[in-house]
Amino acid sequence: MTESESASLVKTLRPFHVWALGVGIVLVGEYMGWNFTVAKGGVLGSLLAMLVAGTMYVIISLCASELGSATKLAGGPYDWARLFIGPGAAASVGLAVYMEYIALEAADAIVVAFIASEVFPELQVFPVTLLVIALLTFINYRGVVAALTLNFVLTMIAFIAIVVFFFGTAFGVVDIHPEYLFQGAMPNGMIGLFAALQFGPWFYLGIEGAAMCAEECKHPSRAVPLGQQAGMITLLIGAAMTLYLCAVLIPADMLGVSVYPLFEAAQNSGIFIFIALLGLGTLLTCLASANGCVCDSSRSWFALSRDHYVSSWFSAVHPRYNTPYRAVIFTMPVAIGFAFSGFLDQVITFSIVSGLLCYVLIPFALIRFRNLFPETTSKVRPFAGPLQPYIAYFAIVIAITILSTLFWGYKYNLIFGFVFYGVAYFYFNRKHKTSKAENNWVEMGWPEPKGSENARIGKEVIGVEFSDD
Amino acid sequence: MSSATINPEMESRYHSKLNGDSALVAGMLVLLVSVELFVIGKILLATWEIASNFFYLYVIFFGLIIGVETIGCLRVRDSIKKHMFEFTYYD
Repeated sequence: MTESESASLVKTLRPFHVWALGVGIVLVGEYMGWNFTVAKGGVLGSLLAMLVAGTMYVIISLCASELGSATKLAGGPYDWARLFIGPGAAASVGLAVYMEYIALEAADAIVVAFIASEVFPELQVFPVTLLVIALLTFINYRGVVAALTLNFVLTMIAFIAIVVFFFGTAFGVVDIHPEYLFQGAMPNGMIGLFAALQFGPWFYLGIEGAAMCAEECKHPSRAVPLGQQAGMITLLIGAAMTLYLCAVLIPADMLGVSVYPLFEAAQNSGIFIFIALLGLGTLLTCLASANGCVCDSSRSWFALSRDHYVSSWFSAVHPRYNTPYRAVIFTMPVAIGFAFSGFLDQVITFSIVSGLLCYVLIPFALIRFRNLFPETTSKVRPFAGPLQPYIAYFAIVIAITILSTLFWGYKYNLIFGFVFYGVAYFYFNRKHKTSKAENNWVEMGWPEPKGSENARIGKEVIGVEFSDD
Repeated sequence: MSSATINPEMESRYHSKLNGDSALVAGMLVLLVSVELFVIGKILLATWEIASNFFYLYVIFFGLIIGVETIGCLRVRDSIKKHMFEFTYYD
């Protein structure tokens, strides 16, 4: 066994790192992207999309907290699907998570480069994008603690910028335009209200990724639920503040097509300190998001590699920095490929489709987990979420509803997503049913799954072939 | 960790840190409810002529978010309290 094969991921992360990973990835969606809800459904459509998606994500984050603190594995949604659903679903979710985050990383890096080139016109977008991707890859290569501590600082500054701007506006420091709320209330009628749901996930897209650092947490059964729930509350607060600020400072027809809506709202306030804060926040939140995406996508690839879904070469852990360094480095060429594909809007939509697929399968994994392991013991389920499995079913219904709204404008992306993940499902399901992997319930310190039928499925999902004898 | 190894000083420190965690999350929840009420109230009042036909949708989903998140946070607190000595969370 080589040194890198014998090394394991370091267990040092604390709840604030989990918060930083989750919120860091997502907060960029509140600085830009969410405002397409306004283009579809006006201010009322946007408010409804924020609340409906918020409900789904609160439930998803509770599911992720329970599953993450129970399994304590780096693959997150991939590992939950592998353990509780099956190899086909596991591969689909693993790839979906990888694609979701790597596409987002590419988009974030390009936005950082655009902002840098606007501030310093002598800079070109292409080399700056490369530099950003390379720098963040290097930080993640050197260590997860440094990467997520950096994310904490960047994210906190970006979040505080929103809070300060909101309270400044609410207490009358800024002249607002309440008439914009009525003028842009619902330009496309009830159908617009429904269509706006497709962009609702922008407010919270990726928060489930916070649980993907469970394997590197010092106390995952405390850090994951606490960090994840604190992160979810932060995003809900940020989403409501963002919607209000932009809706009363930018006319709805302009808000719907704005590239940097929060920054534009700050510009419309005419107050320099808010313009500077939100400008800085836009830049930092993109960096934080890209940084978190490198972390999460590399962990997903690492987990897929560790279980031989992709080449096991990527599952090596750095003997000194204790990071999955080959998986981390591999994010770089893929992100660069996405960034310069020339189809960035398609890439981002593919990221949303991938995310929504996860939001169907994560609650389903929780339902299966509850069926297979009903006991709530310290070893199996240190954190048991409330109202389960009923709210998990409800989250699945919301996720499918939002997926269906993508037919308004993104029909081909949706079909391509289904075909891509469908092929992955059947390919990996067939491949892993004939492999000889050993059951790892005992290694995890868990009992056998409940019931003979479930026990059989439990063995199938980790790839043990069954024969009549 | 067995109860025999839990001394009063450790117990006091653990409960103090648990209260710190609880206060942080409770503070965030209060801020969340205040901000959401403010924003939803402002938008619905300004658009009441249109929104009055389906305002209940906003009420239902606001209630779901706050209700489920609050119960979830209480469960997180219970879980930490139950396991904090066993897994030495605050050492």
